Amino acid sequence: MKLFAYACLPVLGLSFSLNSQAASIYAGKSKAAAVCAQCHSIRNISAEAPFPPLAGRDDAYLQLALKQYRDKTRHSDIMNNIAGSLSDRDINNIAAYYSRLQP
Amino acid sequence: MIITKTTRNQSILAASLTLLFSSASVMAKSDNHKMHKLYQDNCASCHGADHGGYLAPALNAETLKGRSPTALRSLIMTGSFETLMPPFYGRLSDSDIRDMVKHIQATPKLANPAWTIKDMQASLQVYVKDESTLPNKPNFKIDSMDDIIGVAARGKYGRGQGSEAVFINSKTHTIIGKVPTVTAAHIIEFSPANERWAYVKTDTAEIYKVDLYTMQAVRSIKTGLNGPGIGISRDGKYLMAGSFVPHNAVILDADTLEPLKTFELEGIDPDGKMVSSDSGMIIGTPYADIFAIALENAGQVWVVDLKPGFPVTKIKNVGRHLHDAFLSHKGKKLMVASYDDSIVTAIDLETRKIIKKLPAGCVPHVGGGSVVKVDGHTLGFGTNFGTCDKTVVSVWDLDTMKLVKQVPVSGGTESPAAHANAPYVAVDIITKDRRARTVQLIDKKSLEVVKTLDVGGHAYFPEYSADGKFLYISAGYAGDEVIVYDSFSLKKMANIQMESPAGIFSRGRVKYMTRGLSPDEME
Repeated sequence: MKLFAYACLPVLGLSFSLNSQAASIYAGKSKAAAVCAQCHSIRNISAEAPFPPLAGRDDAYLQLALKQYRDKTRHSDIMNNIAGSLSDRDINNIAAYYSRLQP
Repeated sequence: MIITKTTRNQSILAASLTLLFSSASVMAKSDNHKMHKLYQDNCASCHGADHGGYLAPALNAETLKGRSPTALRSLIMTGSFETLMPPFYGRLSDSDIRDMVKHIQATPKLANPAWTIKDMQASLQVYVKDESTLPNKPNFKIDSMDDIIGVAARGKYGRGQGSEAVFINSKTHTIIGKVPTVTAAHIIEFSPANERWAYVKTDTAEIYKVDLYTMQAVRSIKTGLNGPGIGISRDGKYLMAGSFVPHNAVILDADTLEPLKTFELEGIDPDGKMVSSDSGMIIGTPYADIFAIALENAGQVWVVDLKPGFPVTKIKNVGRHLHDAFLSHKGKKLMVASYDDSIVTAIDLETRKIIKKLPAGCVPHVGGGSVVKVDGHTLGFGTNFGTCDKTVVSVWDLDTMKLVKQVPVSGGTESPAAHANAPYVAVDIITKDRRARTVQLIDKKSLEVVKTLDVGGHAYFPEYSADGKFLYISAGYAGDEVIVYDSFSLKKMANIQMESPAGIFSRGRVKYMTRGLSPDEME
């Protein structure tokens, strides 16, 4: 099943890139691996970890939260720092990737 | 979670103690005790119970001298990317993290802590009292027990619920069972004599005896404080385990896990200095009733005969800083990697003498090694841990003990995998950048890299299924899955989720001794 989900990603990515948002799941995947996964993991969060899982979360919510953290309208020392380096495009890509990932 | 709770209880205890005794010296003492416990519960499994380093760097007054406390604090909070260091933000309080920085910057490397045969005996746990009550066949469907692949899952924090040995049916790529190990599982050994038993060693030196038929631990023992070294004798009767902390090794009864004899690891190194030594690889061989153990710092290999008194033959001057090894020629030849002089030393286990020191790349780390037969030649493959100008995988002719080729690869490598039926020798690139996501495939015939797989995570410890049809690779660190490829088409067949997977061990190894050989070689 998970293999099937992976196989679908390119198709989704392609159809998504036709609209104005132009989010890239591939770019999101690589950014997520480099920036988010250290704490939030990819698919399943460690039972020992105090961080919320991101896989399968709502795309719009993830975008909103990341932008608030980046713009410091939502306060968290560590998230303000980490999200501070992200562009709008990065945020769209990361949200597109995580929201389509099956937890 | 349990660990966090104990830590909290500890801090409540420490706080109430400081209320009771307001004298400064008592306060300092209880703080120090609390930090020592916090270090042991969170850091020691990787950084060493003696602060001397293990999988991860040494954390003591000397090694951290001059380091910025602020930088250390943020490193502990966020973890270190491209390493196994997890983020402790939210897991330890900010004040605990600040105090930990002070603690590790003030603590000298501890003297070799004691872990005696009495400590081992006292640590023996029995989970299944009467093993004769266990069913006499597996309680799951499997064609052959050799199809079992075990994965050492470290868990994100090197301990906790994610730390387990995960056993997979390598024909269906589905998980058969998980055996919790409390701290990071590191090595899985399978009994060559009885297919139902496996032994899992953790980074904190516990050994679990696992019943594969029912997928549960039946006994465990703590053989030291840190160290992955474990081997099993060809008759399945004895285990030998060795530690980094403290510097000792022990022979156990494989059936009961009771310790039979301990060994202090010390000797004269190749430069003439008497040193106390970490335990490197320990290996049993189908060739004889012996164990071979590498004394890392002493540069010696000891051969222990499995007869009354367990007498030791010491082979000296093998190399500077030995680590791992693999067998060839029906288990008679032992190839030992030596980090500091970049050689792999061939030892004849019959004469117990060095055959030859062969050139390797930089900092040879052979993992489980690989040996393949090509056009009548026995070729050994050796990986190299170090990242230098020339990153190569060494190929030696093990019949004539000559270097055949240094195959250029894209970075440092840690462990080769091969199988008699599969066309490629897989090597994991571990250089700490994007290359760490990849595994390179060397064609057995042309001895050239023909393909690079983008596995993801920190891709390491490739292993073939017992039939050679599938290649399993850990997408480790935060990758959190094992990826399965078809050995021929290299098509992705499955991904199996687990926390921070590392070493992969096929039960088929007991048949072919070293990966890449055919079971026919053993007859």
